[in-house]
Amino acid sequence: MVELYPEKLLSIITNDSMQERLECMFKKYGVSGFTIIQASGEGSSGMASEMSGFDGNILVKVIVPESQLQVLLESVERKLRKGYHLTVFVSDVQVITPEKFNKKSR
Amino acid sequence: MSSLSNLLLPAVLFFALGVIARLIKSDLRFPPDLAKVLSIYLLMAIGLHGGYELAKADLVIAMNSIMWALILGFTLPIIGYLALVMTRKVSPLDAAAISAHYGSVSAGTFLTAIAYLDNVGVTYETYPLIMLAVMESPAIVVGLILAAKARHSIAARETAPVSGGGAVISTPDNGDGPGGKFSELLRDAFTNGSVVILIGSMVIGAISTPSGMQQLFPFIDEIFMGVLCLFLFDMGMVAARRIGDFRQVGWLLALFGIVMPLVGGVVGAYVGHAILGFSVGGATLVAVLGASASYIAVPPAMRLAIPEANPSFYLTLSLGITFPFNVIVGIPIYHSLVQAMAAG
Repeated sequence: MVELYPEKLLSIITNDSMQERLECMFKKYGVSGFTIIQASGEGSSGMASEMSGFDGNILVKVIVPESQLQVLLESVERKLRKGYHLTVFVSDVQVITPEKFNKKSR
Repeated sequence: MSSLSNLLLPAVLFFALGVIARLIKSDLRFPPDLAKVLSIYLLMAIGLHGGYELAKADLVIAMNSIMWALILGFTLPIIGYLALVMTRKVSPLDAAAISAHYGSVSAGTFLTAIAYLDNVGVTYETYPLIMLAVMESPAIVVGLILAAKARHSIAARETAPVSGGGAVISTPDNGDGPGGKFSELLRDAFTNGSVVILIGSMVIGAISTPSGMQQLFPFIDEIFMGVLCLFLFDMGMVAARRIGDFRQVGWLLALFGIVMPLVGGVVGAYVGHAILGFSVGGATLVAVLGASASYIAVPPAMRLAIPEANPSFYLTLSLGITFPFNVIVGIPIYHSLVQAMAAG
């Protein structure tokens, strides 16, 4: 049986204009990798249409060890307080290659 | 009569078709990013064409046009801001973000105006094209300054009763907040994609050999109107999605979306006709620059610079109200206005 290791998955939905800033944040806090997916939808800050490339949203997914999660969340919270529209949620995931996500600590 | 001829322009009819397609809930979908691809082509073609013509232009008039484009770009958002603050319908930060859109320009509207002038057989100068490139950015800067001012007054008001509550807004701690990277936002404003394409293509058009340019003409001239039709078709669908948000912004704001372009149109017509001394066609284009509101360059800039502002306000106004208004009825109005000025 393949062994599974617990990690945290941080998901952020936001406007695509925020992409560069989030990438900077990940680099600053030594995140080992992230995935960005084009997204569309509707929410508290109105409609985000993927259509025609205007005003699209992105869904950002980052898997980090729990020890790293808190600093990321604090940085995200600072952005929220400044008025940026970010939908943020954290979930528990299990991975088979933990060394991939623990860039700093291992 | 002139307004009917605008409505019967293929590009405008395609815009209407796009709107109708959305309203009847057609399953018609253009590939994502198509409008972006088309607008890159349109800016490149118009830039090459304009640069080629501008190589023969008078430098003094060109410099004068640039100066007046800057004046328009810096003044119009301030007029818009004051008007919006007076309505008391939006917060000062929303007002700053919305007015930045109205000081900047819409290349789509400008190109539709060119199609309109070509259709009615009116000639125009090439200088308004440089003004189009110049006017993309100053309004973003004015928006940032107005927002910084608004944040200061909000913080001043909030720090009095609540300790520390407002300080977060006015003093970005580690530089990743709005206003924290002011210089970076300024750089973004002036290195904006459409500015780079437009100015770059103009330079290429101006310095290329005439025979090299001749080879490009099928690409930049002959298919131009067809691409504009496709672009407006797509934009019609994009705009129609926003028209539904009309109720959300309220009638007073919606009215702003129609009155502000008229004010900008009058100011632009005056600058083009009386100050810069352009022909009726050229002055009409300056009026269109004054009247149009940005929907490509400014929204992402405002999302980053004024995140507190509500994006559905500025997107609905510029894309859902002002853009269709200008394309369908505004352009003939500005043309008649300049004609009246020229006659009087």
